[in-house]
Amino acid sequence: MIAANFWSLIKKYDFSFFVIIAAIFMVGILNLHSATHSSHSQAAVNLYQTQILLFGFSIFAGMLISFIRPSTMARFSWPIYWINIGLLLLVLLLGMKGMGAKRWIVMGPFRLQPSEIMKISLILALARFFTSKRYFSELNLKNLIMPAFFALFPALLIIMQPDLGTGLVILLIFFMVVFYVGLKWKTIMILGIIGLISGLGMYQFGLKGYQKKRITAFLNPGMEPKGLGYNAIQSKIAIGSGKLFGKGFKKSTQASLNYLPENHTDFVFSIFNEEHGFFGSLLLIGLYLVLFFRFLWLAQSVTDVYDSIVVIGVMSVFFWHTLVNMGMVTGLLPIVGLPLPLMSYGGSSLLTFGICAGMATSISNYRNIF
Amino acid sequence: MLYTENSVKDYKPRAMVIGNIVALSFAVILGRLWYLQIYNGEKFFRYSLANSLRKENIKAPRGLVFSRNNKLLIHNVPRFDAIIIPQYLSNRKTSLKKLAKIIDMPVEAIEKTLRKRSSQPRYMSVIIKKNITKKEVAIMETENFKIPGVSVRQFIGREYPDKEIGAHLLGYISEINDKQIPRLRKKFGHKYRPGDHIGQAGIEEILDLHLRGEDGQQIVEVDALGRARRYVSTDNLFKGIINRSFKRGDNLRLTIDKDLQKTAYDSLEGKVGSAVAVNVETGEILVMVSRPSFDPSQFGRGITRKYWNSLITNENNPLLDRNIQEHYSPGSTFKTITALAGLEEGLIDEKTEINCKGHIKFGTRKFHCWKKNGHGKVNIYKAIKESCDIYFYKLAQILDVDVLAKYANMLGLGMKTGISLPREIPGLIPTKKWKKEYTGESWQRGETLSVAIGQSFVLATPLQLVMSYAALANGGKVLRPYYLKDIFNNAGEIVEKTSPKIIRELSFKPKTLKILKKALFSAVNEKKGTAYWFRGRGIKMAGKTGTSQVVRLSSDKIYTKCEEMEYKFRHHGMFVSYAPADDPKIAVSVVVEHGCHGSTAAAPVARDIITHYMKKYHSDIRAKIIAEEKILAQRNKKQ
Repeated sequence: MIAANFWSLIKKYDFSFFVIIAAIFMVGILNLHSATHSSHSQAAVNLYQTQILLFGFSIFAGMLISFIRPSTMARFSWPIYWINIGLLLLVLLLGMKGMGAKRWIVMGPFRLQPSEIMKISLILALARFFTSKRYFSELNLKNLIMPAFFALFPALLIIMQPDLGTGLVILLIFFMVVFYVGLKWKTIMILGIIGLISGLGMYQFGLKGYQKKRITAFLNPGMEPKGLGYNAIQSKIAIGSGKLFGKGFKKSTQASLNYLPENHTDFVFSIFNEEHGFFGSLLLIGLYLVLFFRFLWLAQSVTDVYDSIVVIGVMSVFFWHTLVNMGMVTGLLPIVGLPLPLMSYGGSSLLTFGICAGMATSISNYRNIF
Repeated sequence: MLYTENSVKDYKPRAMVIGNIVALSFAVILGRLWYLQIYNGEKFFRYSLANSLRKENIKAPRGLVFSRNNKLLIHNVPRFDAIIIPQYLSNRKTSLKKLAKIIDMPVEAIEKTLRKRSSQPRYMSVIIKKNITKKEVAIMETENFKIPGVSVRQFIGREYPDKEIGAHLLGYISEINDKQIPRLRKKFGHKYRPGDHIGQAGIEEILDLHLRGEDGQQIVEVDALGRARRYVSTDNLFKGIINRSFKRGDNLRLTIDKDLQKTAYDSLEGKVGSAVAVNVETGEILVMVSRPSFDPSQFGRGITRKYWNSLITNENNPLLDRNIQEHYSPGSTFKTITALAGLEEGLIDEKTEINCKGHIKFGTRKFHCWKKNGHGKVNIYKAIKESCDIYFYKLAQILDVDVLAKYANMLGLGMKTGISLPREIPGLIPTKKWKKEYTGESWQRGETLSVAIGQSFVLATPLQLVMSYAALANGGKVLRPYYLKDIFNNAGEIVEKTSPKIIRELSFKPKTLKILKKALFSAVNEKKGTAYWFRGRGIKMAGKTGTSQVVRLSSDKIYTKCEEMEYKFRHHGMFVSYAPADDPKIAVSVVVEHGCHGSTAAAPVARDIITHYMKKYHSDIRAKIIAEEKILAQRNKKQ
């Protein structure tokens, strides 16, 4: 029986997510190689090899996840969420120091970043919450108190690490999910106002000095061209100088002369634009859009509400990362430090995206079996 | 398992909205990319070729300083440095040899300078010789194409045409140091930057913010090695990165007379001391010189070690402005104030007469008059005219020191005059309370005797003395001294104007002032007056000599001739005066350190200043002076 099921599963296996992800990753790995090939340190030059290994591992993890039934996911939603919260607290308490921020738990050769997994845990928890209660009409403010708590609590823990970018993504995911579940327009307005006020309040009291400076630098990048606004200006120069078709593969001067720091993580998109121009970006953004709409289509084609919410949540993880990263490197948003999915170097984020793809694949595979 | 009665179909509208949000978001991103890459692509492409932008500071020329007659006191001149850019030094040996010949400097010294700076990038220039002459510049410019890597760099130098004359008042500029940056930023709210040149003394320091103007900035494209490629025209692509032209500093017109300054300075030739002259009615400073002095032009940019050492090892401290930063026992010049107190308090009058036998005894101590055999019968006129000490000792026996201090304070002694110059000191007028606080001992009545003749604790700056005499001369107006007539910008518009300020108006008995003025007149113009031999020709001066004891002399040395003492023990000579006596216009105070007598050392300086002033500004008196001078010249010829 199980074997028969397994074979029917394999026959219906939806490879579309992994295929699209792999396509973007291919672009990403070439770009990463180009960004780092002229670096002074051999370690940086070899980064792309590490990235390939990490991606292989992430796809493998995603594949494994894709064989977990959505109902099983639903059943374990709460335990996963609370364990994740526990890990976040643990990180805060005794996390190791790295980059001036406490983000990791070290387990042998692995460094676990609970804030990354929190994105997924939150989606599961929210989906579970909204399917275990009866909502006949659109959500009002009162209905939002509990789910808001589920999102705000981890977001706060993450911002305290301090990792402003991930904390904000957690909140953005929450907004997308509750919007999907249904919000009254009035509620949206009130949330907007609360968001604005708390945002200002956080800027005043909650942010670390360097975070504040980044925002000031965003608002006025020319203030200190060699100082805080430096990244923003150099990023704009890199992007703008690409013009229509770019300078060509491995021809980025901004990266090779180290004018653009962090060119292998947060600023990969700038290098991509410098080398491949507006035309290249059009294609890359096209790839991302295919991924997003594939998620959206799946969210509407499932019968189970839980599955639908999870897929929307997973989509929002990809969507927000992509949007915020592109926004910040093009100078539309402050530099908060978020990776571009599948393009930026980094194991933790790759794993998250791999797992997300796995979950979507699972939901796609199982939707017709019952 | 799930309780919801909603179906996925209910979410369809919102899925559509999300789809639209996604599409719209990336439309915005693409729009932004279009703006950066297509619309501004060329510009960014250029920037990326140059690789970076750098702000270059354009120094604003400092404001100029003029005398009251619009003659230049401080101005800016182009100066030149010989520099080497190691990167372009293709033929090192011959280039250095050629340069060494032009600027007259051994090749080894040039090599040494280059080695010292070898850690900096090779495209950055190294200054080989500062302030090269115009002739050297000319040779280098013409030979330039033959000496690759060697060139001339121009900068704005600050020049003080009168050099040492009035240097203390004008001050000097030099590069700001690390400690000053935070302190001055806080004090003036101006964003001083490393490398800025700021006023470090005198007017340059006090009026720095007016003089310095605003630096401009020019954005330059810099290539991968940080070399400036070309100037970028201003655009609003990056907020805050714009080209800005500099704003010249404002110019100052002083109340100082350039010619009088020279007269005063020359008159002090070979002496250590100072002279200050003010307009009696307004408090305008006409002359303010101090010797020894320094050449402020030497500071501007890298003072030589040799010159600096010569300044700081000079025991007469050339950097000290003796008019306001040093105080002296006013000696007999203080007797005028003692007399004022006695007359106003009704303790003495015209008829009061004493007998001077050359000394008196007070308690167990013997007080001597400067004249060993005494002056005989002395009234107030004779007391001031011949500077009889005994008269004032006797007055001091009935005059409370606090009352005396009150009159001294009224005339501005014992407190800063309020002149807008750095590091003015307040002098000292002792009171009983002061002595108790600072020494813990109570006042001895005998000390009042010493104070009455301006010795012991009393200290005053030459500026304070001249202001107090000016107040007596003008009928009781204590004025704030000032040197700044107005500040005007480069369009010639007046930005700020100083007007005379009366600090206090004193109302003395008319009789008192009349007596004092008559006495001060006779001291200069009547035989036996202490300054009689140094009276001016054709002008009626009034004034008082003073001798400031440097050390207290034991009784056997009191009558030793001052000139026979060791230089450092000799008395300071002072002279405070005003002229013309019947209608005072100018007041002058002169101090000559270790000059022994106010009459021989200081009075001639005051006379020179006053004579020059009268000749220049009062045509009616000029005729008299010239006539008198002719008679004198003829008389000398005959002899």
